Amino acid sequence: MIPHPAQVPPRAFQYRVLVYAVAACAFTTGIAALLLRVFDLSNVVMVFLLTVMLVALRWGRAAGALAAVVAVGSFDFFFVPPVWSFHVSDTQYLFTFLLMLVVALVTGQLAARLRAEAVGAAAGERRANALAAVATELSVAVRDEDIANVCATRIGALLDGKATLLLPGRDERMPTAGQGDTGIAQWVLEEGLPAGRGTDTLPANEATYLPLTTPLRTRGVLMLERATMQPLDTEQLGLLRAFQSLIALAIERVHFVEVAQETQLRVEGERLRNALLSAVSHDMRTPLTAIRGMAGMLGESDVAQAIVNQADRMQRQVANLLDAARLQSEGVRLDLQWHALDELVGSALAATALGSRQVVVDIPAEFPLVELDATLFERVLVNLFDNAAKYTPGDATLYIRADHTGSKLILRVEDDGPGFPPGIDINLLFAEFARGTRESAVPGVGLGLSLSRRIVEAHGGSISASRRMPHGARFEIILAAGEPPAIDLEDSA
Amino acid sequence: MNKPRILVVEDEADIRRFLRLALEREDMTVFEAGDALHARIDAASRQPDLIVLDLGLPDDDGKVVIRDVRGWSSAPIIVLSARESEAEKVAALESGADDYLVKPFGVPELVARVRAQLRRASLAGARGQASALVRFGDIEVNLATHEVRRGGEVVHLTPIEFRLLAALVRGQGKVLTHRQLLIDVWGPGHASRSHYVRVYMANLRQKLEQQPARPRHLVTELQVGYRLAGIVETS
Repeated sequence: MIPHPAQVPPRAFQYRVLVYAVAACAFTTGIAALLLRVFDLSNVVMVFLLTVMLVALRWGRAAGALAAVVAVGSFDFFFVPPVWSFHVSDTQYLFTFLLMLVVALVTGQLAARLRAEAVGAAAGERRANALAAVATELSVAVRDEDIANVCATRIGALLDGKATLLLPGRDERMPTAGQGDTGIAQWVLEEGLPAGRGTDTLPANEATYLPLTTPLRTRGVLMLERATMQPLDTEQLGLLRAFQSLIALAIERVHFVEVAQETQLRVEGERLRNALLSAVSHDMRTPLTAIRGMAGMLGESDVAQAIVNQADRMQRQVANLLDAARLQSEGVRLDLQWHALDELVGSALAATALGSRQVVVDIPAEFPLVELDATLFERVLVNLFDNAAKYTPGDATLYIRADHTGSKLILRVEDDGPGFPPGIDINLLFAEFARGTRESAVPGVGLGLSLSRRIVEAHGGSISASRRMPHGARFEIILAAGEPPAIDLEDSA
Repeated sequence: MNKPRILVVEDEADIRRFLRLALEREDMTVFEAGDALHARIDAASRQPDLIVLDLGLPDDDGKVVIRDVRGWSSAPIIVLSARESEAEKVAALESGADDYLVKPFGVPELVARVRAQLRRASLAGARGQASALVRFGDIEVNLATHEVRRGGEVVHLTPIEFRLLAALVRGQGKVLTHRQLLIDVWGPGHASRSHYVRVYMANLRQKLEQQPARPRHLVTELQVGYRLAGIVETS
């Protein structure tokens, strides 16, 4: 049900029709006086009856009823002996009066009803035609502008005024530069209630603001500006209600067409991007596999080993780049599953060449499962371990510790190497393509840490770096603990 | 002793060449196929002892080739795949592949995996099934008596922990997917609860590994499954 401006009372009764009724009776009396010279009195009565019927047909029930009484009165006063008096000599005439009055009233009322129905039918037809025309135009609208155009050209004319469509932007706010009072329009949009002239809210405003509501939500506001203070009549009110529904549905239809198109575009884009990434990934991997494999055939020489190392390094950068590209695509879908953290750490350690560095892992046995995308999170750990391998001497020690405090899981990766160079902003480490030391001999483009941050943040967590005392670097990942799924406990062993 | 016969199926000629060189240096006979069609023909006509198969073949899905070959051959199949395609690895393993290598891989890795699979196949071929007593590291598992010893001391395992360990032992170094382990240990109703395997595997590692976070035997194949590494042949 669409809320409406205050109900308009039935059309105000127009007293002048009563004057017309009396005038018609006077005119008839004159005619009757002329006719009486030729015709009998009983025939002249018919002229009065005809008048009552015509008055009722033209000016409605009340005028008809008044005309009936006046007609009987003047017939008595002017024509029934003794004339010029309401006295009646022949009691026969009393019956005539009564009959005349009843016949006049009945025919008058019948005629009036006929008239009202004819008027109603004509109005209904007009309304149906107007609605059909507007509905046809709205049904072919494919953009919001088309709908606004229908409002401006069609609807305003039918409601004796100017109708303007006000639509909110994507942020559900009415544009401030738009027409009308933005504040009222916003209120109408949010509340789904009418405001402005003719309503309970801010009736002093010059325009009426009507909500365009569908079963789902209010989609826009119709601003109606009328030159006259006259409220809308019943017919216009009915039309307005119908228009509100029609426009709202048209807006919704256009909206969903846009949504469908956007979705299709996005899906298509996503598909293309994935296809491209797979192709790039394959095309990079194939030569790397060949290079790495063939270098492996060259024996144990330093050169061969260097080629293998460089190929590995390149492979890791390619993997980082591809993951970064994948994460950049909109709406990354994480493959979240409940994992054991020590397993991920173990897997990442196995994938990193740490050389002779010591590794101390301290993850409590009862550490809860963590909900993660294992492939991406392993990448974070590999990047951190890789960094430790890059920036610490061969005799350094790597400490991996996990803590569980309340709703947070904290994973710390520390080393006792030289730590971050003095004077660098540690927080900038996670910015795209930042590196601790400019132009250093240590390879890597700083992609690793920015990618790591993006991955951790995609998991709803945070990653930070700090200096470890007395020397070394510390990375800290904080994740929400979540509620691991229940495990059916084994029957006692 | 006969030279092991290896069929290498890979569409990139350079990778095929280095695979051939690497395996021939290990005293193996290598046949090459560049697509699925020739892979099927050679797998039937050459009777290889082991197949190295790239999943991305130009003419057909590698998984379909695996299923076809599995219809009539039990030769181990090692799949070559990309890091990011876990689902593909899992599907290949569940189609009947025995192990996988992530590109790019090194020669030592390749040779180690090939040798392990050949040994596994020859053991299974000789005895029909794995021996009841299996040793890895300082762990000894007796599948018949359900006894597990670590450095001579009896280790207490719960029934599920033992079933999980036994499944890995029976796999003899084959990569077992989460699904395969869940069905084997818990039954078909639990096939999608991979966190069960993770929890019990963590328990097993606590009891059997020296450094549970850096396991040497109960190895995680991330997003794919687990395998038992370092099995020592026993009589």
